Amino acid sequence: MPSQLNLDELVQETRVHRRIYLEEEIFQLEMERIFERNWVFLGHESEVAAPGDYKTVPIGTQPAIMTRDENGDIHVLMNRCMHRAATICQEPRGNCSAFRCWYHGWTYNHKGDLIGVPYAGGYGASFDKRKFGLIKAARVEKYRGLVFASLSPEVENLVDYLAGAKYYIDLFMDLSPEGAVETRAGTHKYGYDGNWKFQMENGVDGYHPNFVHQGFFEVQGKTLGRKVMQLFTDNSHCESKDLGNGHSILDMSPKRAVGRPTSNILRGATSQSSTDAYMDSLIRRYGQERTAEILAASNVNLGVFPNLLIIGIQFRMTIPKSATRTDVHLLPTTLKGVPDEINVARLRAHESFYGSAGGGAPDDVEMFNRCTDGLRVKGAEWLELSRGIEREHVDADGGRIGHITDETPQRAFYRKWKAMMVGAGQSQQVIPLRVVRTS
Amino acid sequence: MAGLSRSEAEDILYSEARLLDEVRYRDWLAMLTADAVYWMPCNGDGFDPTREVTLVYDNFARLSDRVDRLTSGVAHAQSPPSKTKRLISNVQIDRAEEDAAIVLSGFILYELRRGKERIFAGRYEHRMRFEDGRWKIAAKKAVLVNNDEVIDNLTFIV
Repeated sequence: MPSQLNLDELVQETRVHRRIYLEEEIFQLEMERIFERNWVFLGHESEVAAPGDYKTVPIGTQPAIMTRDENGDIHVLMNRCMHRAATICQEPRGNCSAFRCWYHGWTYNHKGDLIGVPYAGGYGASFDKRKFGLIKAARVEKYRGLVFASLSPEVENLVDYLAGAKYYIDLFMDLSPEGAVETRAGTHKYGYDGNWKFQMENGVDGYHPNFVHQGFFEVQGKTLGRKVMQLFTDNSHCESKDLGNGHSILDMSPKRAVGRPTSNILRGATSQSSTDAYMDSLIRRYGQERTAEILAASNVNLGVFPNLLIIGIQFRMTIPKSATRTDVHLLPTTLKGVPDEINVARLRAHESFYGSAGGGAPDDVEMFNRCTDGLRVKGAEWLELSRGIEREHVDADGGRIGHITDETPQRAFYRKWKAMMVGAGQSQQVIPLRVVRTS
Repeated sequence: MAGLSRSEAEDILYSEARLLDEVRYRDWLAMLTADAVYWMPCNGDGFDPTREVTLVYDNFARLSDRVDRLTSGVAHAQSPPSKTKRLISNVQIDRAEEDAAIVLSGFILYELRRGKERIFAGRYEHRMRFEDGRWKIAAKKAVLVNNDEVIDNLTFIV
């Protein structure tokens, strides 16, 4: 008689079961227990800079709208007319005076209030428009312009939730001498036939680059004289780190890197005058010491559970579609208060690696597709995540630190995943999953 | 010498399409001027690449790097490679001078990879320049109809 594994057994300290990438039942539980019960990243406030602006964005698999009202406040509304369910907003982004559902004309403002019902006399005296406002996210909070929402009110404050990730988000934003970035340069959109967790694992995986990105690094090394592959070898001084709450980082700070001649931020060609003007503005704003810290830490891959990665110049949103389908949106940032040339160089550097036609990210995506194919093999039930378990150590802040090539970030992710899926407050009963053969 | 005629432009576009379909990328590079720019906008028609992220905005050096990488043997997103066939039509000479011209065209590009078929459509805008006794491509802009949608893999040269 085959044994039945429950969720608790599917995710273990150093390995995870293939079923968590394949089964729709587990995917639905992830939506309920993670994406609908936790902070999720929705975008940056600059995407809805002006009153009346909006952006459509899913929360898990549910359609939502991020809006800015006439007072400048940001709201997150579910994109569903309270009359007969049609979505009320169709465009990826834009500006409007109100949201009209074109099925029967019900109209809502940017706060989600129902402000218009055609031929209202058809409804009885007891009909109360106030009861038909759009469903709103229970919590919406911002940190340094990043907008997060939670459908559950039972979450800690965002700033506490971000835990150790906060320090690195600060450094990223402080690359601007005004301490602010914008994401108004467009969106790279790609996807793959595989589970959303592959993207979140891979964004903070320092073991794969020398193989998946060998071709990119070799060409870059030839033309630019950079020895990027040294970052990801056994001899690298770079680290991976568990930042708490499932967040983690690959820290490739130049101060630790071997053979890394320059900061990552100006990978594109910029004139000496623009570079000097930019550096001077940073030093004026932050002082020498902090500027050095900002520049040193500018080269990181930061994962924020469950759906945000901050990599290079971009905010990356992982959008789960089904157990085996995922979309990914990249929001490249521009820095406020820097010469245009700096931002152009950042955009061109970003494109060289990222996006559907980039020289790096599509190779990652190829691996996710290959993994999904390989997962179909029965008998090989587990994905091994033990790398570095015996050499990772705990730092003064209590975070686990591993070598850059260690699977410390992936273990951090799955500890949080497990806590949310089967931890305290969750039903402890065995989830009725399909029975599969286990060894 | 008269300017570029439509039939001459068609010959160039068809030759280019054939080289790209046959993944003869180095031969394709030889069709370009040394200062050529290849631009594939993202999120729409492409207004200003200094303010917008693009899918590709390569000068010749970056294109050359792209070709080196795609032919390195470890370009995994092209392993196995895409098989493509593109049809080019609706060719118009938008502006013609003695030694320069803008050529507009439409394309349908069929792709087969890993057993999956995809169809892309869009428009090309080629800026041609007469140089060293022949017409060369000084700039190419490829505007995909679906460039504001999710595209899983666009690592072959459009």
